[in-house]
Amino acid sequence: MKKNLPLSILLTVVLYIFVLIYLVPLLLLLTNSIKSFREIMTNVMSFPTHIEWQNFAQAFKLMNYPHLFVNTLIVTVGGTLGVILFSSMAGYKLSRTKGRLSWFLFLLCIAPMMIPFQSFMIALVKVARIGHLIGSDYGLAVIYWGLGAPLTVFLYHGFVKTVPRELDECATIDGCSTGRVFFRIIFPLLQPVTVSAIVLNAMWMWNDFLLPLLILSGTKESLTLQIAVYSFFDRYKTDWHYAIAGVVLTILPAVIFFIVMQKNIVKGMVAGAVKG
Amino acid sequence: MHRARLKRRFTEAVGFAWLTLPAVLLVIAFVIVPFVMSLTYSFTKWNGLDKIPTFIGLTNFANLLKDTDMMKTLGFTFKYAAFVVVFTNIIALFLAILLDSGVKGQKVLRTALFLPYIISLIVVGFVWKFLLSKGFTSLFDLTHLKVFGLSWLGDAKLAFIAVTVVSVWQAIGFYIVIYIAGLQTVPRDVIEAATIDGAGRLRRFFNVTLPLIMASVTICVFYSITNALKAFDVVFVLTEGGPGTATTSVALNIYQTAFVYSRFGYGTAQSVVLFLFILVITVLQLTLFKSREVEA
Repeated sequence: MKKNLPLSILLTVVLYIFVLIYLVPLLLLLTNSIKSFREIMTNVMSFPTHIEWQNFAQAFKLMNYPHLFVNTLIVTVGGTLGVILFSSMAGYKLSRTKGRLSWFLFLLCIAPMMIPFQSFMIALVKVARIGHLIGSDYGLAVIYWGLGAPLTVFLYHGFVKTVPRELDECATIDGCSTGRVFFRIIFPLLQPVTVSAIVLNAMWMWNDFLLPLLILSGTKESLTLQIAVYSFFDRYKTDWHYAIAGVVLTILPAVIFFIVMQKNIVKGMVAGAVKG
Repeated sequence: MHRARLKRRFTEAVGFAWLTLPAVLLVIAFVIVPFVMSLTYSFTKWNGLDKIPTFIGLTNFANLLKDTDMMKTLGFTFKYAAFVVVFTNIIALFLAILLDSGVKGQKVLRTALFLPYIISLIVVGFVWKFLLSKGFTSLFDLTHLKVFGLSWLGDAKLAFIAVTVVSVWQAIGFYIVIYIAGLQTVPRDVIEAATIDGAGRLRRFFNVTLPLIMASVTICVFYSITNALKAFDVVFVLTEGGPGTATTSVALNIYQTAFVYSRFGYGTAQSVVLFLFILVITVLQLTLFKSREVEA
């Protein structure tokens, strides 16, 4: 099939213009984050005449950014590692074991995918209070272990089927315990699904708002970036130059993570969606 | 011999238990138990402080039927979901087709469109709040176009449009990627055969491509429905549910009932209703769409 050349060039140009317009909100955020307060107030659309790094320095200090960053990192890394560890173990064993009990436990693990978070969040706060998980980043991470498990168990359960069962049997005959078989031999082979699961869980936990709001909002020391930026924006809503710089600082880690891991992120998110 | 077998079965059982139980217990503790508690609390009156909630039978559900605010939030959520699902999927599919038709730099464009999806909805709300207030003021001064002079977050109808547009804008990149993945599974020879048989662009799309990518459509519609019915972050930041309660979603209403007004029993009743609505709608959608999936 020959392509209609002028038409395809026109289409390309139109698409590029469309995408540029599509990104205008984010571009404006960037340009205005380095403008002075007066420049923002006179014209949001103008290009910055000089770079006002002061905005970032101020927002950095006012938000207590490093502290928030570490808190969010604790939640995201702690949460993701736990989900990966426990869900891969369970996904593997439930996939390998036949029988009614195994099937029932698998259904029990994945059924919550159909339960929207909003429909049990009120009682979850009570459970968290009983378990002394309220107000702590580590507590929040532990709650994510449970909330992240359904999808992640499901992903591992499906992928394990592509790993030949003979591998387990050989290792067992050679005297490997169940744990060793899994961690030494099987887990490394599950790497593609592990990457997907890390991306899905980490992006979710880093960006999540409602659960951290319920678990952490009573405290000052444990706030995550998303919760803190909400009150920061509220407090400085007339000081746009600080508010915007704070917002840019909040999305920066996710954007850098995205640029570095781009291929894995897109692939991981699609894999998670299509299989889940 | 018998003892050896018994011992082997015992070690097997131990292995099974320690690999599966952590995840199973975590799911039970943080999803199953809270969910069952929600179901029981929905029959009670509970202010969150009392040790034991008071059983009041179906009163909460009877009150829900009379609650005009709840009906309004349900109405908003359904309308919002309908618009978001339709626009997200049509625009995403359209862009996916354009991107898949051999445009130069397809990957760059796809990445650019994906960018808003990796940013938290909270921040997306701020970005748009800034654009709709400050940005539009500047644009109005420059162009004097009426669109930029309107109060996009202050008027009920306009706020609805704003919330819908922002939701579609944020999520579209994700759906584009899924649709492109689907389009790439459509065999070229089937399309070519249809072309030779004289099918035009539109016919080719509706009679050949669309049935073949129905699996992607099912997934995308499913995700957009559940996400829209659960909407919280966008309205929380962008409009705070207002003006008045014009853009209060069911999820936001549940949050306010429980954590602002301390009516936990009533809040759980609302959340049970949300669960049932999402369950029924997604099951209907899945059976309806699955029956239309075909293979090449």
